[in-house]
Amino acid sequence: MKTLAKFILITAALLLSTPSIAQSDVSDVSEELKIAAVEALIAAPADKALPLVTKVLEGNHSNEVKERALFILSQIDQPEAQSTLLKVARENQNDLGLEAVRMIGISGNDESLASLASIYENGNSEAREAVLEAYMIAGDKQSVFNIALTAEGDDFDEAIEMLSVMGARDELRELRGKTGVSEALIQAYAISGDFESLRELALDGSDVELQTQAIEAMGIVGGEQVDSTLVEIYRSATAEGVREAALHGMLISGHDAGVLELYRSSQDPSEKKQLLEFLVMTGSDEVWNIIDSTLTGDQ
Amino acid sequence: MKEHSDNLEDLIAAHRSDVHKPPSHLVQQWHDSIDEAAALERGRSGKTRQRWHPGSFFWGMAVSAALALGLAISFLMSDDVPPNVPQVAVNQTHADVVPVAFTRGLQVHLRDSRQQLANMDVADDTTLLVLSIIEQNRLFESVANKNNAPKLARVLRAFEPILLQLAATDIAPEDAEALRAQLSFELNVMLTKLAREASNETHTT
Repeated sequence: MKTLAKFILITAALLLSTPSIAQSDVSDVSEELKIAAVEALIAAPADKALPLVTKVLEGNHSNEVKERALFILSQIDQPEAQSTLLKVARENQNDLGLEAVRMIGISGNDESLASLASIYENGNSEAREAVLEAYMIAGDKQSVFNIALTAEGDDFDEAIEMLSVMGARDELRELRGKTGVSEALIQAYAISGDFESLRELALDGSDVELQTQAIEAMGIVGGEQVDSTLVEIYRSATAEGVREAALHGMLISGHDAGVLELYRSSQDPSEKKQLLEFLVMTGSDEVWNIIDSTLTGDQ
Repeated sequence: MKEHSDNLEDLIAAHRSDVHKPPSHLVQQWHDSIDEAAALERGRSGKTRQRWHPGSFFWGMAVSAALALGLAISFLMSDDVPPNVPQVAVNQTHADVVPVAFTRGLQVHLRDSRQQLANMDVADDTTLLVLSIIEQNRLFESVANKNNAPKLARVLRAFEPILLQLAATDIAPEDAEALRAQLSFELNVMLTKLAREASNETHTT
């Protein structure tokens, strides 16, 4: 009886139409009621909820109400729910379509996820971003990797950025062999915490620009291994740019002790001056003792 | 020996009085980075729909790591059990069963998140508040994956891009309100769903 009463209420709320209501506050209340009714559908059995959600999506409701209905749809484990999500994603080049793509990510259905590839290919930049986000939500690294293999420019950068936030180290390493090293790939290694790949690039002097980017990016990864490698790179570097990149890396990783160690071991006044500037930037407490000693002539 | 013990007690007392706040200059850097990422994204798309930038994910991770470290140290020092971190071992005997303790912990997390988002207007630092929700969210997403709950893990992952947009300090109030309304709806739906599933299990067992 309780269930029946609930459904009568939900159905009545969902059938309300707003066009004839002029006052905005009345419209707001009506909108809130509809959203509350959609929310209540999660408690209904799938066979009862599905036709009501479909009715909302096909009806004369605001995008907000329809977007909420899509979330309910993502929680219904039925093929009809998937086909409706795909239909909305394909037929709407607007926020509603993008939200449907997100919901396909949440539902995690393999077939629907595979179908997103065509939306990526044919969609605008917002649709492409939404597809990447859906793959991230679904944890589908392979599909993002497949996109990165053929994408170019910003699309490539966005795909590997997404791989990095998914922690897809193996896929990112494989990409290096297929697409070569780029600034975006170095950033992706940093975000995914791939110290080994960055170290390899940081020690490779064949392209100084990429080398310095890799050295600085190591600072983002941080940790003892990074700190000791950065000090080692600084000490063995012959190029000024490489040394400066190592200092930037230490600044980013917060390795004050390393900069301090270099300052104390240096005998070159101009180098000491540069290291002191970096120490000031790190905000290390030790810097005040050093300044004091420098001014009193102890160093 | 006594001196050593006193030092240790001083250290523990000092630690307990520490509120585990990251240094203000770091917080400012995180704010700036998130704002930059958001501005970059807006500049790139030039459209009205709110999107997130995966670059901001990294800053979310950095702050989450810092907060998680603070929480972990706090728990180790105080022997307290965190109120809403699931103390659930990975279920190895029943591969398709989601442990009840995990579900209960998740319900607490979802309720807490909903409450915190509803009270965002009165928070001193909304960015830090949202980042702390993200940190908890990641904990539960990770535990969901280990507890036979990939569907829940996906929903939790889907919250994060919205939370990251909310963390930006330069977000327009109406956009923030829309994102909070969306999250509130999705949190409510998941809470109802979890409660219903728990109720069904109780009735069938």
